[in-house]
Amino acid sequence: MKLRGNILMSFVAVLLVQIMLSGLVDFGPLVFIAIYPLFIFTLPINTPVNGLLLWAFAMGLAVDYFTNSIMGLNSSASLVMALLQPQIFKAVSRKGDLENQIRPGLAQLGYAKFALYALILLTIHHIFFSMAESLGFTHFIYNLPRLFVSIAANTLLIILVEYSLFYKLMR
Amino acid sequence: MWGRSPILRGLATIILFLTLEVVSILFIANDSVFQRVKIGGALMYFKSGVSSATSNVRYYFGLKETNEVLLSENQRLREQLSIYKTKAEMADTLEGFSSVTPDFTYIPAKIISNSTNKLNNFIIINRGRKHGVQKDMGVISPEGVVGVVSSVSDNYSYIISFLNINQSVSARIEPSGAFGPLVWEGRSSDYATLTEVPYHIRVSVGDTVFTSGFSTLYPPNVPLGTIRRSTIIMGSHHNFQVRLFQNFNSLRYVSVVVNNKKNELNQFLKENEAKR
Repeated sequence: MKLRGNILMSFVAVLLVQIMLSGLVDFGPLVFIAIYPLFIFTLPINTPVNGLLLWAFAMGLAVDYFTNSIMGLNSSASLVMALLQPQIFKAVSRKGDLENQIRPGLAQLGYAKFALYALILLTIHHIFFSMAESLGFTHFIYNLPRLFVSIAANTLLIILVEYSLFYKLMR
Repeated sequence: MWGRSPILRGLATIILFLTLEVVSILFIANDSVFQRVKIGGALMYFKSGVSSATSNVRYYFGLKETNEVLLSENQRLREQLSIYKTKAEMADTLEGFSSVTPDFTYIPAKIISNSTNKLNNFIIINRGRKHGVQKDMGVISPEGVVGVVSSVSDNYSYIISFLNINQSVSARIEPSGAFGPLVWEGRSSDYATLTEVPYHIRVSVGDTVFTSGFSTLYPPNVPLGTIRRSTIIMGSHHNFQVRLFQNFNSLRYVSVVVNNKKNELNQFLKENEAKR
């Protein structure tokens, strides 16, 4: 029960950070800000995949609604990310690295692993995001610079947000 | 049984994933429904309060620029007024001149929410059905085209910004008179691309681009920007990079264009199509 409360709190916290960053700070159209994947990939490890999918869907829709983008854009991308998340986590972490119930955050994984974990998942998210945004593969090559810049910027931002919001709480 | 079998569990996951994904894609396809929800919902009052509080700060720091824009617009309007005054004096003797309704009238509006950092940008303004705004009306500012009204609630309107990869404006280059669609390519909010101008047309850097007035959305001769660079595509036509006059980041006041002849024109078009 306590864990559920924590999840809700971090849901609201990450959503607020996302709204503030994409609303108040303008990075230009070359960078799209997506901080909210942080919430999805730091859900406790023992969360069933169905739970991950539902949380990702809820988060994506909430971000779509509040940042005034096209409805369903963020949720479709984050669903793909949530589906692949357990596999990526297994690949990144060592066996027995973490016990159950633990949030795979910066404090638990360490900088290198967390950055790698975030980078891989964000890449998946961004590829599907830009495909959903231009509805298909036609603009894919044209959108590549935007993709790379956004992945780099968002990885950095996510590590910063994770450090400032959750790192000290969890240690 | 449900939790035990890994195959069933995997199947359930896949089904859940596909369902949610299809729902998302349907949402993307039917965005107009949600636009109405976004501006009609109870959250809108809260949202407009919050965003006006944050944008007031930006508004204050942009006052100088806004002043300059208004000054130059005043100047332009004064010049136009003097032209029309002389014309009206000449035409005073003509019967019925005063009863002519203007082609375009304008509804001034204030922007509540705006974005420039996505590929699909949207704007919300504080004028809606009550004030006479309808779907598919154009929105302009003194410095150029802003967008098209996409859905309307009683007090608010949802506008597809010109900074949206699915938008285009019919534009005309001034001295040469060549025209083509002006589209935004999603790279920078300061530049757009004028496409499909035939190769033989001579255009020089710095030429001004105006709206052509071929659509019923925007009045003709709204200044849009200046030509900055040209590239030749397939040896048959030019693509011009246009530097927009409009600064979407500091945009605050806009006017909704009401085309008084739109219904008549559409009726006329429909009749002629029926004949064919």
